[in-house]
Amino acid sequence: MKIVVTVKLVPDPNAEKRIDAQTKRLIRTGVETVLNPYDEYALEAGLQLKERAGGDSRVTVFSMAPEPLRETLRKALAMGADDAVVLSDPGLEGSDVSATAYAMANALRKLEFDLLIVGGLTDDSSTGAVPGALAEHLGLPCVTNARKADHVDGGLEVERETDGGYQTVRTPLPALLTTALTFGEPRYASLKGIMGAKKKTIATTTLGDLGLELPVGAAGSKTELREFAPPPARGKGQTVEAADGPSGAQAIFAFLQEKKLV
Amino acid sequence: MKHVIVFVEQRQGQTRKVTFELASEARRLADALGGKACAVVLGEGASRLAEQLKSYPLDTIYVAEDRDVDTYLLDPSVDYLQLAAQNVGPALILIPNTLSGRDVAGRLMVRLNAGIVADVVDVQVSGDEVVCVSPKLGGALVTSCALRPSEYGIATVRPSAFAAAPGGSGAEVVALEKSAKSYAATIQRDVEEGASELALEEAPVVVAGGRGLGGPEPFETLLTPLARALGGAVGASRAAADAGWVPYNLQIGQTGKTVTPKLYIAVGISGAIQHKVGMRAAGTIVAINKDAAAPIAEFSDLLVVGDAFRIVPELTKLIETAKGHLS
Repeated sequence: MKIVVTVKLVPDPNAEKRIDAQTKRLIRTGVETVLNPYDEYALEAGLQLKERAGGDSRVTVFSMAPEPLRETLRKALAMGADDAVVLSDPGLEGSDVSATAYAMANALRKLEFDLLIVGGLTDDSSTGAVPGALAEHLGLPCVTNARKADHVDGGLEVERETDGGYQTVRTPLPALLTTALTFGEPRYASLKGIMGAKKKTIATTTLGDLGLELPVGAAGSKTELREFAPPPARGKGQTVEAADGPSGAQAIFAFLQEKKLV
Repeated sequence: MKHVIVFVEQRQGQTRKVTFELASEARRLADALGGKACAVVLGEGASRLAEQLKSYPLDTIYVAEDRDVDTYLLDPSVDYLQLAAQNVGPALILIPNTLSGRDVAGRLMVRLNAGIVADVVDVQVSGDEVVCVSPKLGGALVTSCALRPSEYGIATVRPSAFAAAPGGSGAEVVALEKSAKSYAATIQRDVEEGASELALEEAPVVVAGGRGLGGPEPFETLLTPLARALGGAVGASRAAADAGWVPYNLQIGQTGKTVTPKLYIAVGISGAIQHKVGMRAAGTIVAINKDAAAPIAEFSDLLVVGDAFRIVPELTKLIETAKGHLS
């Protein structure tokens, strides 16, 4: 079974985020780039399904990034992916979600796979629309928010989270899957994995290799960021020490009355 | 973009509050764009719900009373929405920013060659331009993003962003024709859990518990009665969900749900950034915590330092008594 897992390289979620006033884009310089934490769950799912399918199954990691950040991708390889492909081209800068999905789909089309796993949300600028868009471009059934997946009758049986509970869904392959955080904690890279990752291949593709018909980057985008501002600041409020239950409750009740919330 | 189309999520004729919010907002936007306000209702129970939607100011309600919508995973919904959009003509499409809404939106974006703005909390129309306001980076920034002039544009809209305003003259109901396509991903089982009648994202009041509660029982014995007294819903921090005290669909924060209630009461939640980004846009934040130095002190309107196990039952009593006097 051939599995491709897409990962996104994002600024360290624990670092303070700043926007360039001129370009209105996230400043990525000076901030360490890491594997999107949510995508590690997608990779974990890919590795589990590879192990269960056995044989000559493989996991390829795919990423689209302004620069081919090989060191960051090594982490995915150290976790157990077999190789990596990165689509990297300055012409991709400024792509919105529709241009991003278009470029990614065309690069993914060049990889052979039975299953495409896409991480759920992204930490840095989440729209949640990429998986569905990729499925449309590639003509794949799209099963999102998986918390469990098993090989059944040549396809997959997936338990997926819904807004109100969960569903069991069956899909033939090839298919696109996205994972929920409940799929299972991503594994740590072992020392052997880290050493082995150094020998694995990271291939680079550019826009020139894809022969796209439509423009990407800012010119191929259908949305345009106009303004951005920090939200109204929320100041530190009051603190009340409650000696016992009734006095604490009274303090809250009086506060809610004052705010006309009760 | 001239008209406005609302995608209605429904199950057996039941829908969520966000449907009525979007139906109301669709009218305002359609008037600003000089077009029609439409809704698309799909699946078993759709006709019943369409009747209910007639009391909102819509012009046309497209309906497909088709079991395939409930049998196959989203594929029929996307087909029907595409068909409705083609029938209506150039339009702004409003989709609830929920798990299934986001899936539908991404796919429709490709079908209609549309732009998309996600997690929208406000929409402004000037001339033929549509500008959407949405929080980004977990609420650290608020952005205005224009949908460039094109036939179709999509906004996934945060529940509770708009007010529901009934009224209207009885929309025309139009049946959508079934596609001849066959579908691949089949739903074998569909389970609703977390029996709270009120969806967390839509609740006007959220009472959330964290690690400080120490186990699953206090969610039942402490938080549920308080939430009920306030007409709200119960939520949780990631620590509580990870510990298995509550199902994950109650988790609020970066990796869970984002809520914007009028009142948020955080009980035994320290207020890590992970949690903060899911609730900091709440109207008023009240925290009950043992630790006066907990991070939540920095963004609460009121922090009561004390024992939640003693405070919460007393507070519930005070609120119930006050309600009793009013009724």
